[in-house]
Amino acid sequence: MAKLQTLAFEVNGEAVELAVRSQETLLEVLRERLELTGSKEGCGEGVCGACTVLVDGAPRRACLTLALEAQGGQVLTVEGLADGAELSLEQQAFVETGAVQCGFCTPGMLLASHDLLSRQEQPDEAAIRQQLSGHICRCTGYAKIVEAVALAADRRAKGEAS
Amino acid sequence: MSRPDSLIGSRMPRIDSGPKVRGEAKFTADIKLPRMLQAAVLRSPHAHAVIKSIDTSAAEKLPGVKAVVTGADTAGVKWGVFRYTQDQQLLPVDRVRYLGEEVAAVAAVSEEAAAEALSLIRVDYKPLPVITDVWQAMAEDAVLLHEDHPNNINVHVDIEVGEVEAGFAASHLVREDVFTAPEESYFMSEPYAVVANPLPDGSLELWMPNAAPHQKAKALCNALKMPLNKVIVRKVTIGGAFGGRSDVFPGEFITALLALKARRPVRLVYTREENTLATRQGHAMYTVVKTGVDKDGLVLARDITCYMDGGAYSSTGPIATSVPFLCMEQTYRLPAVRYNGYRIYTNKPVGGMIRVHGRAFAGGVDLQLDMLAEELGKDPLEVRLLNARRTGDTTPTGSKVQSCGLTDCIKEAGKASGWGDKYKKLPPWRGIGLGTNSVQTGFPLGIRGGSQATIKFNEDGGATVVSGVVDNGQGNDNMLVQIAAEVLGLDPGNIQLISADTEMTANDPGAYSMIATFAGGNAMLAAAEDARRQIFEVAAGAMGANPADLVAAGGKVFVAGSPDHGLPLAKVIRMALIQGRPVMGQGSFTPKVDQRREWLSNPQGQLSETFSFGASIAEVAVDPETGLVELLGLWLAQDCGRALNPMLVEGQFEGGATMGGVGGMLREEHVWTENGRCLNPTFLEYKVPLACDMPAMETIIVESLDPTGPFGAKEAGMSIAMSAAQAISAAVSNAIGKPVFDYPLTPDRVLKAIRGEGGAGE
Repeated sequence: MAKLQTLAFEVNGEAVELAVRSQETLLEVLRERLELTGSKEGCGEGVCGACTVLVDGAPRRACLTLALEAQGGQVLTVEGLADGAELSLEQQAFVETGAVQCGFCTPGMLLASHDLLSRQEQPDEAAIRQQLSGHICRCTGYAKIVEAVALAADRRAKGEAS
Repeated sequence: MSRPDSLIGSRMPRIDSGPKVRGEAKFTADIKLPRMLQAAVLRSPHAHAVIKSIDTSAAEKLPGVKAVVTGADTAGVKWGVFRYTQDQQLLPVDRVRYLGEEVAAVAAVSEEAAAEALSLIRVDYKPLPVITDVWQAMAEDAVLLHEDHPNNINVHVDIEVGEVEAGFAASHLVREDVFTAPEESYFMSEPYAVVANPLPDGSLELWMPNAAPHQKAKALCNALKMPLNKVIVRKVTIGGAFGGRSDVFPGEFITALLALKARRPVRLVYTREENTLATRQGHAMYTVVKTGVDKDGLVLARDITCYMDGGAYSSTGPIATSVPFLCMEQTYRLPAVRYNGYRIYTNKPVGGMIRVHGRAFAGGVDLQLDMLAEELGKDPLEVRLLNARRTGDTTPTGSKVQSCGLTDCIKEAGKASGWGDKYKKLPPWRGIGLGTNSVQTGFPLGIRGGSQATIKFNEDGGATVVSGVVDNGQGNDNMLVQIAAEVLGLDPGNIQLISADTEMTANDPGAYSMIATFAGGNAMLAAAEDARRQIFEVAAGAMGANPADLVAAGGKVFVAGSPDHGLPLAKVIRMALIQGRPVMGQGSFTPKVDQRREWLSNPQGQLSETFSFGASIAEVAVDPETGLVELLGLWLAQDCGRALNPMLVEGQFEGGATMGGVGGMLREEHVWTENGRCLNPTFLEYKVPLACDMPAMETIIVESLDPTGPFGAKEAGMSIAMSAAQAISAAVSNAIGKPVFDYPLTPDRVLKAIRGEGGAGE
């Protein structure tokens, strides 16, 4: 058995402390240990983007991130986007525009969108497409996902609540 | 939220999108059960070999290992979609036929222990000659993959209708061309996974991404030799199918065996590579298309011979070999047609049904018609219109077409794209092209062809609706609730859905033949109408009204025109309970098809009750130096009968154009070594389209209002995936002024086509 180390970090605003093996990925810890299964494993090699979470505000492929790299950090997963019953701007826009089909890529897409909107006031379509191009969706053809991100950006610029 | 006047035709957000955006929807790999074991599968490193022996003793002794299975545990049980195609041992006993085939499996307390156990299993193989293409396979001296199939011909579909040779003789122009394409894959977002859980009562519950829970359960109960009601396929969120979840895989059989042996829940999660190699792939194709036309471009005869690389086993072979032809014969009026479709065994992964049924088939037929039109000096769009299927026609193999909006699709797409201003008027290396096609709504499935639905009510007026329809991501759950809510006048939020669970729902044919809306939707419609009839009877008695004058809307029952004087539905439900005639809606729908029709022995008779039709137009620019194709626009039109929810229908069009058109026609293909190893089984090397690859898409919904579809609806999932691919090949050909015979149109193939090469296979 590999040596265990203590990982102390914050997940969706909650302090978490647990013993992990050094080779455990962040995705394994989130999914199997913390039972936060919203982050998906679509490829396990950092290509599809379904496992994307934000670590200290920056998007990371959780499948290629060792859990211990998040030591002392703040992790945001799809489960942390909504405020209780109230969906986030991005979540609400995804629902309304039909940007969700099978839903497997949706968590990663949402976190990529959240990251983009946190960095850019009013991203244009090219910027949205560039940001989403790290994420594979096989159902939608991306059209309605792009529309959703634009809608969320627009609403935020107008100061509308979701 | 106030309910709009009608939900049908509304852009109602999907009922499953909330749980999905919250990350709460459970996919199979998300399931965690107490004492659950992890499974892993040992796969053949050879594409073709005899298994001389398997020694699992060391693996069984490894701490943490709870079960090991091999072919010896199975009595060589075989799977096949049809009785006559049962050629795949779910765990091979003596021979492996493709690289990656299952040989043994373990269940252990952790993934690490399972992986270590696999490394301890000793298999002694004797390698056999490896066959990696259809020509090697059909050669006289080729080793046979299955001894009872000479020349490795797995399936031969043989259809001839009308006087074909006389048609060619009477033709003004005849062309014969060859179109080719290698394998493609589904790459659905969710890798395959199975959870099996043996229950104390002797039943076994299973979760896996599937396109037909009832068909899965039936196949598994046969293989496991258990009664059908003891093999329970449960509902789970499914991450895409596209044809690739349609039949039965060794993975679920193996997981079930391990769970039964260990008497504990077992979870198997495929890697992306396993998902590509060990589920299904699209067939490689070599298609010879010969068409004769008169002076106007009217088709007088067509003869198609297609060789499909089927891989190691039959799977849905007879269907997969037929559907490309069927889509074609539905699309075009053909006085005489001949089809010889051959599916050939090779030592490659198993070919299955895929959303684009034959880019080297459909693309070839359309492109050849354009070539003939050009030779005649005609506009290809006009020639398509001349040959287009129309309502009331009968297809060559005998299906009556009860609704057909193909002509409108072609015209609308032509108008939206500005075809008239662009065809032959674009600058050099720019081109425009049209793809037209037709899709089935279901196949004759005998006793499993019908769908049944029930509806019960709670005393607060809410309803629970029950249906066997499965949702692969396309929105079938929402479709069911939307239909029930519309008929019952309930808010969709007041309807609870139970579906896709074989214990709690009655039969349904599944979502793999484009029939979910037509059969499942019609069954739900019938159940809701049955419930509403009962509700109106009770309400009419209380209100002193005529049941025929009543309407249900806004959670109330009232006389038409007097919504303010109605009874709340909850009150009517409670009255029915007191009166001892509780409301219980039941409905079923069995498509009117010819059950004597059989894929090989009798390909004649009504195939589907109705068909969808579509037309896409693509505009491209080709760089003559690099061969790179830039998509400038896509116009996507389909007659889906009626768009129950335009937002979802648009999503199907856009997704279809992306997968079939941009992916299928421009980039996606598998590459192999001569040893039968797939060189690009993962997302790293197999390039699917990304957000930055997609042009603007305009969706055009054509509504022919089918006479027997639910609210007039047919299907919306497949047509555009095909027509967009056809349109792009036509557009590239138009741009370079030469035919393109070999797909996908990667830069190297485009450069070859510019040089006038290709067309005879590679």
